[in-house]
Amino acid sequence: MNNWRVDGKGRINRDKRVRFTFDGVSYQGYEGDTVASALLANGVHLMGRSFKYHRPRGPVTAGSEEPNALIGTSRSGTGRFEPNTRATVQELYEGLTTVSQNKWPSLKFDVGAVNDKLHKLFAAGFYYKTFMWPKSFWDKVYEPVIRASAGLGVSPTEPDADTYASRYLHTELLIVGAGPAGLAAALTAARNGTEVVLVDENRELGGSLLSEAPSAIDGNNTESWLAEVITELEARDNVRVMTRATAIGYYHENMVGVAEKLTDHMAHPPANAPRERMWRIRAQEVILAQGALERPLVFDGNDRPGVMMAGATQTYLNRYGVKVGNAAVVVTSHDSAWYAAFDLADAGVKIPAIVDVRATVNEYLQSEAQKRGITAKVGHSVTSVSGTKRVSGVKIGRISGDQQVADISSIPCDAVLMSGGWTPSLHLFSHTKGSLHWDEENEVFLPGERTERCHIAGGGRGLWSQQAAFDDGVHAAQQALTSLGQSAQALSVDVDGDRAGSGVVMEELPSNNDKLARRAFVDFQNDVTAKDIRLAVREGMLSIEHVKRFTTNGMATDQGKMSNMNGLKIAADELGRPTPKVGLTTFRPPYTPTTFGTFAGYHKDELFEVTRKTNIDSWAEENGAVFEPVSLWRRAWYYPKAGEDMHAAVARECRETRASVGMFDASTLGKIEVVGPDAAEFMNRMYTNPWTKLAAGRCRYGLLLGEDGFIRDDGVIGRISEDRFHVTTTTGGAARVLTMMEHFLQTEWPDLDVWLTSTTEQWSTIALNGPNARKVLEPFVKGADLSAEAFPHMALRECSVGSFEARLFRVSFTGELGFEVNVPSEHGRALWEILYQEGKKYDMCVYGTETMHVLRAEKGFIIVGQDTDGTVTPADAGLTWAIGKKKPDFVGKRSLTRPDMLLPNRKQLVGLLTEDPSVVLEEGAQIVETGDTAIPAKMLGHVTSSYWSEALGRSIAMALIEGGFERNSTSIDVPMPGQTHRATISGTVFYDPDGDRIKM
Amino acid sequence: MAFNSTVETLPQMGRFSLRCKRENTVAMSKALGFELPSSISETAQSGNRSVLKLGPDEWMLTCLMEERSAIERSFAAIYPDAVHSLTDISSREVSIRISGPEAEELLTTSCPRDLAVLKSGRGVRTIFDSVQVILTREDNNQFRLDVWRSFVPHVMGLLTVAVAEFECGL
Repeated sequence: MNNWRVDGKGRINRDKRVRFTFDGVSYQGYEGDTVASALLANGVHLMGRSFKYHRPRGPVTAGSEEPNALIGTSRSGTGRFEPNTRATVQELYEGLTTVSQNKWPSLKFDVGAVNDKLHKLFAAGFYYKTFMWPKSFWDKVYEPVIRASAGLGVSPTEPDADTYASRYLHTELLIVGAGPAGLAAALTAARNGTEVVLVDENRELGGSLLSEAPSAIDGNNTESWLAEVITELEARDNVRVMTRATAIGYYHENMVGVAEKLTDHMAHPPANAPRERMWRIRAQEVILAQGALERPLVFDGNDRPGVMMAGATQTYLNRYGVKVGNAAVVVTSHDSAWYAAFDLADAGVKIPAIVDVRATVNEYLQSEAQKRGITAKVGHSVTSVSGTKRVSGVKIGRISGDQQVADISSIPCDAVLMSGGWTPSLHLFSHTKGSLHWDEENEVFLPGERTERCHIAGGGRGLWSQQAAFDDGVHAAQQALTSLGQSAQALSVDVDGDRAGSGVVMEELPSNNDKLARRAFVDFQNDVTAKDIRLAVREGMLSIEHVKRFTTNGMATDQGKMSNMNGLKIAADELGRPTPKVGLTTFRPPYTPTTFGTFAGYHKDELFEVTRKTNIDSWAEENGAVFEPVSLWRRAWYYPKAGEDMHAAVARECRETRASVGMFDASTLGKIEVVGPDAAEFMNRMYTNPWTKLAAGRCRYGLLLGEDGFIRDDGVIGRISEDRFHVTTTTGGAARVLTMMEHFLQTEWPDLDVWLTSTTEQWSTIALNGPNARKVLEPFVKGADLSAEAFPHMALRECSVGSFEARLFRVSFTGELGFEVNVPSEHGRALWEILYQEGKKYDMCVYGTETMHVLRAEKGFIIVGQDTDGTVTPADAGLTWAIGKKKPDFVGKRSLTRPDMLLPNRKQLVGLLTEDPSVVLEEGAQIVETGDTAIPAKMLGHVTSSYWSEALGRSIAMALIEGGFERNSTSIDVPMPGQTHRATISGTVFYDPDGDRIKM
Repeated sequence: MAFNSTVETLPQMGRFSLRCKRENTVAMSKALGFELPSSISETAQSGNRSVLKLGPDEWMLTCLMEERSAIERSFAAIYPDAVHSLTDISSREVSIRISGPEAEELLTTSCPRDLAVLKSGRGVRTIFDSVQVILTREDNNQFRLDVWRSFVPHVMGLLTVAVAEFECGL
């Protein structure tokens, strides 16, 4: 096959044939082909169906801006299917499998194409208007149907089997784009010794030189010149060249994200090779040399397969050795398409006519056309295209007035080359929020004020010729080097046979056809026509931002690379306002669609997110613990024995702990060492409690408020010595509390001689609770007397436990006799196992966080963040006893006396006992006066903690209820799915209210 | 592509966080036995003891485990005249050493800093992926990451994946 290859043309490797399939049919291409170029070489233009109207579509471009030729690709192995791959970008390799999209049952016969017949119905705004009524239809009918038909391609169903990489890179100069401007800039900087990174999204460097080679550069032919330059750049130590690397986003402080494709072009990637790598490049200076993108012309049938950008057909010819047809009509408003026509004609493609909408075209082009026997139809327009799955001809006519043509004739052809001029590619510049200014003469937006240290060179500045681009690249490099404090030798690159040119920007091409019947597409990917844009304006959309959202113009994955300017021009025309007054929509990263994998990088599977584990975690895992995440930690939740579900395991752990003794890994508690002569004063200012009189060797419950007076954190705090406190925080609050303390210390009280050190991970903490706790611990303690008299509740000792240096606290979060042993964290598991062995004598259990929660709830101990939600004061939580009344100040003190903090009907923390003791309320359940109140019922509050209490043989709960203290002993209703439960308000201490059990 | 670098966790060492105000740094140097570095990121060492200045009033002191009590005693002796905070964090952190010709580039997989400007003998508190670390360039091709214990598996996991990536040559 390959009947559309042109001998002697292209940069493909003709010695290396490559087989691939498209929709199950096997085709052959060459190494260096893209899927699109190989299919075109086989005469296949039809590559997909459009999004809304299911119109047959073929490639319209040869690059990453492609809106039409989106295909599904499957690489070897499962989990490697990708939808919406651009056929114009995907490189060919042996065995590549590709499929078309958005068609059923087949690409050539697609039922969804009925939408196209109904296009008058599916005008812009159709969805907004049609699916409003009846309202009840939205959930059940409209939304499911719209969702099912929305989206292009099929989402992958398997987890992504590939790995992705990331890298940070710092450089003096980053150059984006390796066309003439980028290459000239790179050469200038490289020869100066500047550190340069040059990135280009293509497989090869060269940019437009690959598509349109001038006759000579510096007296050399383009191919050799390019080869020499590439060799030079790659050989230099100060230059890093990256191909297949797309600069996708330009972020603050000259950070540019570059997505590099590593293996998508390989039949057999090396083992362990990542598929893509995200480079985060921090450059001191950036040169954006991204060139310009060719604009389509807007005419009836401009989306038919075979209608392509003129520049793209030149790329297919000169880079891939493919002619896009045998007879190609050219329609243009820019000189560049004339050159494309000449290139194709010289390669043997018949050019029946060049239709130029301009009234005059320069003599040189006309004579060159004449030389080749091409008919030039200046001042003419294309009014329609015939052919459905492939263009078969065009109708053209002489422009005789505003939107009027005369002398219409038909020309048969199998390709149409169009060019509406070139739009400078300023996407990355737009990411920097650099301003754009409107160039009235050339009708383009050009870069204006810069906000970052970047320079735009070449086509991006609206320069249209390779010589100008080379010169501008040198200029940009000199500017960048000056900014870097370096000076550069000016470099000159001389181009022979440069093809300068100019053009005009058009709205829809003049035509006599019925305006409503015309299918003149502006946005190919979202199927937006010129008619839709005009309709949007007539519907009252005055700004381009509104027009965009009403029509979806420019909202597809190509972000309007081809459609924005045409859409703007037509909207401005309909509004009768100057183009720049209608505005331009903002480009946002990424420049081209980028895989989620590339953004995620290494963060998958076990590296998805940090999972912190304690030293004892491995024991828990070996002993069958079920885990739960608590902030970044994973904690043992409960330890089920054979046959136990969670309820049974937790009930047993609770029972055994209260009956004898239980052991718990409390290592995740935050710990902060507060040291210095002003330590007690600092603690007085931070916490609500008084600390001055706390003796060394004693501890106290501490309550931390925000400046707003609401509870932020709590924990037991021990005084190790006069000048040293061992502060504990909640597991999740550790970092927050340290930050808050540092903030006050550094900004409010820098005069204090006190310093804070995080010691969370210095210690492993083992809690022993239960009547037999002392018996388990005592044999291993040296240097401390554990008797009740010598070591009372809320005391601490520095001693040795199991031969490890230890800080031993007598504290209880269960209401039982309790100890917390802190040993250097690496010894946690060793001590745990020693105590576990000893505990066997007392039928000791190990328990997890769920039992800890139940036991503390039975005693009414709060958990900050569960029973409080950032709106709870100490009084609301019944913790006024923890406030040092005589202290002059502490964080949050003044807020506590604000009038609304003293209102009696604030939400207060109370206990709840359900009428049916077997009912465990749902945490988060709302509370109402009575369940049969008309909706909307007044919500009195919500359940914060709720458990089955094994000790009490019934359920217990805590709740925040409006005026809860006043309501003590009254009943409220808790509506839950299926049933409303009545409950009585009580105090929060359900078990051992006199606290006898800790006094052992 | 040959890959000739190694990633290893180091045996435990004694570590203290030392904090004090500027006027007392001379006394601290005396207690330590050599002069504390005066500019941030600078290290100083003598025998088995080394000090890295991490902030305006913060130093990290490393030593042999068995030297810890001697250090604590000498600092306790000067406390009445030169107040400070000396807190044992020997168990808080684990050190990972990355050495070899690819060490610097290996770190760029997750470390956003420009490592070319981190000279030998200097250290910084920075991040590796999302994890706070102290990164010291011990030698031109040798780096040390001091990582809080529970974050070590994450950091080592990332480095292991990175090593496999370097070994595959892409």
